[in-house]
Amino acid sequence: MSFPLFVFQGLFRIRQRIPSILLIGLCGLSMLTNAQQNVAFGKGKITNVTVSSSSNASNQTGIQTLMSSGYLPNKNAAARLLSQATLGTTYADIENVATNGIEKWVDQQLAMPNSFVITPYMQNLHQGLADSMKRTDPTKNIGNTFLADRYFDISWFQGYMTATDLLRWRVALGLSEIFVTSRISANEGYPYASSSYYDMLLENSFTNYRNIIEKVTYHPSMAVYLTFMNNHATDSYNGKQTFPDENYARELMQLFSIGLFQLNLDGTEKKDANGKSIPTYNNNDIGGLAKVFTGLSWGDSRYLGDKLKDNWSYTKKLKFYAIDSSDYYLRPNASNKRITNGHEVGAKTFLGSTIPARSVEQGELDIKDALDIIFNHPNVGPFISRRLIQRLVTSNPSPAYIQRIATVFNNNGNNVRGDMKAVIRAILLDQEARDCCNNGNTEFAGALKEPFIRYTNLVKGLNLTATGGVFRNTMQRVYDKMGQLPMYSPSVFNFFSPDYLPDGALKGTGKFGPEFQTLNSQSLSGYMNALNSWLINDDPVEYLTYFPGETFKPNQDAKFDLSADYQLTRNDRLTQLLDKYNLILAHGRISQQSLNTIRNALSGMPLTVTNGVVNDSEANRIVRIAIYLIMSSPDYIINK
Amino acid sequence: MNRRDFLKHSGCAAMGATTLLSTLTSLGAVNGAMGHKKFPVNGAVAEDYKALVCILLAGGVDSYNVLIPTGTNGGGDNGYNEYAATRADLSIANASLLALNNPQCTGFRSFPCNYGAYGLHPSLPGMRDLFNSGKLAFMANVGTLIEPILNESEYRTKAKKIPEGVYSHSDQIMQWQTSVPQSRTALGVGGRLADLLNPGNLNQQVSMNISLSGKNVFQTGESIAEYSISNNVSPGNIGFDMLPSGWFSSGLMTELRNSAIDSLVGQTYANLLQQTYAGTAKGAIATFDIFKEALKKVPNIATVFPTTSLGNDLAAIAKVISVRSNLGAKRQIFFVTYGGWDMHDNLAGGMNQKLPVVDSAIKAFYDSTVELGIADKVTTFTISDFGRTITSNGLGSDHAWGGNSMVIGGSVKGGKIYGAYPKMNLNSNTQNVSVRGNFIPAVSTDELYAEIALWYGVSPSDLCYVLPNIGNFYSYTPGNYPVGFMNFNGTTISNVDRPQSCLIY
Repeated sequence: MSFPLFVFQGLFRIRQRIPSILLIGLCGLSMLTNAQQNVAFGKGKITNVTVSSSSNASNQTGIQTLMSSGYLPNKNAAARLLSQATLGTTYADIENVATNGIEKWVDQQLAMPNSFVITPYMQNLHQGLADSMKRTDPTKNIGNTFLADRYFDISWFQGYMTATDLLRWRVALGLSEIFVTSRISANEGYPYASSSYYDMLLENSFTNYRNIIEKVTYHPSMAVYLTFMNNHATDSYNGKQTFPDENYARELMQLFSIGLFQLNLDGTEKKDANGKSIPTYNNNDIGGLAKVFTGLSWGDSRYLGDKLKDNWSYTKKLKFYAIDSSDYYLRPNASNKRITNGHEVGAKTFLGSTIPARSVEQGELDIKDALDIIFNHPNVGPFISRRLIQRLVTSNPSPAYIQRIATVFNNNGNNVRGDMKAVIRAILLDQEARDCCNNGNTEFAGALKEPFIRYTNLVKGLNLTATGGVFRNTMQRVYDKMGQLPMYSPSVFNFFSPDYLPDGALKGTGKFGPEFQTLNSQSLSGYMNALNSWLINDDPVEYLTYFPGETFKPNQDAKFDLSADYQLTRNDRLTQLLDKYNLILAHGRISQQSLNTIRNALSGMPLTVTNGVVNDSEANRIVRIAIYLIMSSPDYIINK
Repeated sequence: MNRRDFLKHSGCAAMGATTLLSTLTSLGAVNGAMGHKKFPVNGAVAEDYKALVCILLAGGVDSYNVLIPTGTNGGGDNGYNEYAATRADLSIANASLLALNNPQCTGFRSFPCNYGAYGLHPSLPGMRDLFNSGKLAFMANVGTLIEPILNESEYRTKAKKIPEGVYSHSDQIMQWQTSVPQSRTALGVGGRLADLLNPGNLNQQVSMNISLSGKNVFQTGESIAEYSISNNVSPGNIGFDMLPSGWFSSGLMTELRNSAIDSLVGQTYANLLQQTYAGTAKGAIATFDIFKEALKKVPNIATVFPTTSLGNDLAAIAKVISVRSNLGAKRQIFFVTYGGWDMHDNLAGGMNQKLPVVDSAIKAFYDSTVELGIADKVTTFTISDFGRTITSNGLGSDHAWGGNSMVIGGSVKGGKIYGAYPKMNLNSNTQNVSVRGNFIPAVSTDELYAEIALWYGVSPSDLCYVLPNIGNFYSYTPGNYPVGFMNFNGTTISNVDRPQSCLIY
């Protein structure tokens, strides 16, 4: 493998010299006759050649766009796409995209089935744990063996390191930061709460938004997290009233679908005659919607109000109870047993719509109606589009970008609303995502890499290897030092807010920097010291001993093998070393000035070369410091 | 010649920055030593130091189960019975409540304080003791307001301005930190306080606003950002780890690495996200040595803190306060979050689990300020997103508005309930805006903060910078304080008119 200097900075390069007249013949027709917008790609613009952007319509006929044939992205452009579409990139992934083209790769990824299911993998670990414990305690079985939350982290990591549907894993993490549930809640100590919820997100990432909010609504992890598990109709007993829990009704609207203020298609807020933002709902709407989410309990419960839960309860869809018959179970011998409505009857009004009154037995239809009303609210397109763009591409998408994506959300070209595949495809292939230079406006381009994603970048980029293919890694240090792990948000508001306005250079610009909410003097040194542990101290994973006395299994204690890079530490080859990791980790974004700084530091480190062969341990240190400094550079930290 | 004059006369030009810094630090050390109990302060000028500690109980604590009426006199003070009837399954048995001695709740603005007898949640013996010994005051029914709203009709008809997103976590938790409920972009109260008072600090490099909970709105000012620390404030935990000692010239290599980092974050970046990251990194790196050196001077503190997250955080604050002079600080504002209060379910269990953490940590912190001899220089207060519905949703409560807060410290006129405790009976209750039991706040966050700000050293003319809406509630005249819970004996109300102008949102 060789890593030439990428002197050609353009996003796309021509593989062979194609006579420009032929080029116009291939793509010029649509340019001349079609209303489609034409955009010039790349810095190294070739005069008088314009490439038309890809159409999102799936029924398009005629010539294929240049994204999938004719031109291929160079490796930097390929790596750049992968920095948005995956959680981490190997050199092989980059070559794959560079060989196949961006559009083709995205389509292949969108067509791939879900390749790794976390829950059965974790259950397997659970079974193994129970079997091991059984040897000393015969009463142990999987039902009575406690499984700690970090088994979810271990299983997640196994999936991440082995799954081939890389785009799905990136999108699912993003969805887990929009439809937030967390182990910091009553779900703590139930890793199946996290695994089954995350599996649901993985499974449904490429379906329809309407389907996703239904799966979320019927998932026990969400019902526990936002406290509508066993939620009960308004009840009056002994002169004391209780009311439906409002928690889910509020956050479903505020965070998962429409937000607080009415939006234009381009994501900007609508204003009233006085120039004020217009609220999407008030507290009466909350009260109305809260009545809808009544009568739901565990999938394996016996009655509404049943509090029994075990790990398996978390893997079953919620069950609807029209009637609360709990007294028959709780007070079987009482003569005055109460039968009440579990689900609230009567018409329910919210968001200017009214769900008709129906019999309590038919009450579950209220949930369907309510989700339809929310799904069809005009805010959903721009609201969800902006969030997904922020998770994948940039913190400050232009209104035009949001509008293009929201338009696809509203109609994928085949009159389907909420098509996630079409939305994700449009986000990644949009000119604003692909244009390397943000139309010259680089001042606000990009996003701060999520702390967790810096770690997933590292392990993939350096080909972390466990000899047997089984990884045992709780990733605990990521959380301890940087405060982020999947399904570990401090609240339903995620680790950071989409509307966070950073301090410092961005202050007063009105530009958002969600991930900057995680950045402070403490997490900054936390990140640097975590990098120090993973890289410099060669301690890239947190290995967990499953049970007392378990023998250490070195083949599951993954390590980096950087020996292939040792020869690149020679002064005359340092450029290649830096180019390699500049490509893999930062798609060639590390500036020459920064590279010089890093190079100077590396040159100051001792390296003994004997007969042209470098000293291994010295070379090893140089490679590690090189990667450490690349990952410390603002050029890497801000992905743009 | 006082210190300020000395600084003026010595002049920055004559001294290198480092010299100036170390001189200031040692001056600060002398100053700090004067306040320490080992050194008699007879005749000496009292140390000019004040700290605020803001404890955010994130999620919206159900504070109507913290401070609870206990009267059972059917004809007179029937507070407990009304409370129990409305709170239904959420109510706490009267016999278990911890009695407050003569809390003298008097009412506020046009709101009466509806009851005379009160008790605390059974998990709060430390708070009960601080209250009964006059070091803790309650603020009854305080919350976010733009201007006074006197009854339900003014709310319903929108005759008065209503805060944005009442009942929404994200809005209310922010507005409690900004005290500007009409804006979603306002600076924080602690940040604006620091904008005004930071120039009085002797060393500006470690921010006077120190956070145990990372970035937050409260401490964000125009010119001040928070300095985040972990609760492990041992010197060895500050800054970047060394390279392994087994490496050849490990120290030299570490310097090589660190200077490369300095260069990388010291560049000017055209991309402002990069510049923001670089600036944060640069600022943090610049503080490491100062903070590390100061922490080496932390004295032995005998007060035992509970080993909870809040206990550890407050213990760290006590340590940082103990080296205030090494940090050159005369004014500091600390911020700490203790979350998990959004108890839509399992309220009773949740409160029984979390309130003891609050109780033991705050009690230990107060005791440590006594031990350090600065109890009257440190004022601690609790804030939260909102109060919760006083009706039940079946074992839990939902989002509401006004709630009850605590203020603790040696300069607090404690042992009293300020504000106006609302009537628990919701029938024809004009303070209530929902069948669920949501109260219009009697006291605004502006009034709570204004009282603290005046004590902290903000002049009446500068109040409108810290609290842009304060004019809707209060204007200063000598002896007339916004609420009355601070002891101003021995405090001179500042008459410094700083250049910042009133803020308008």
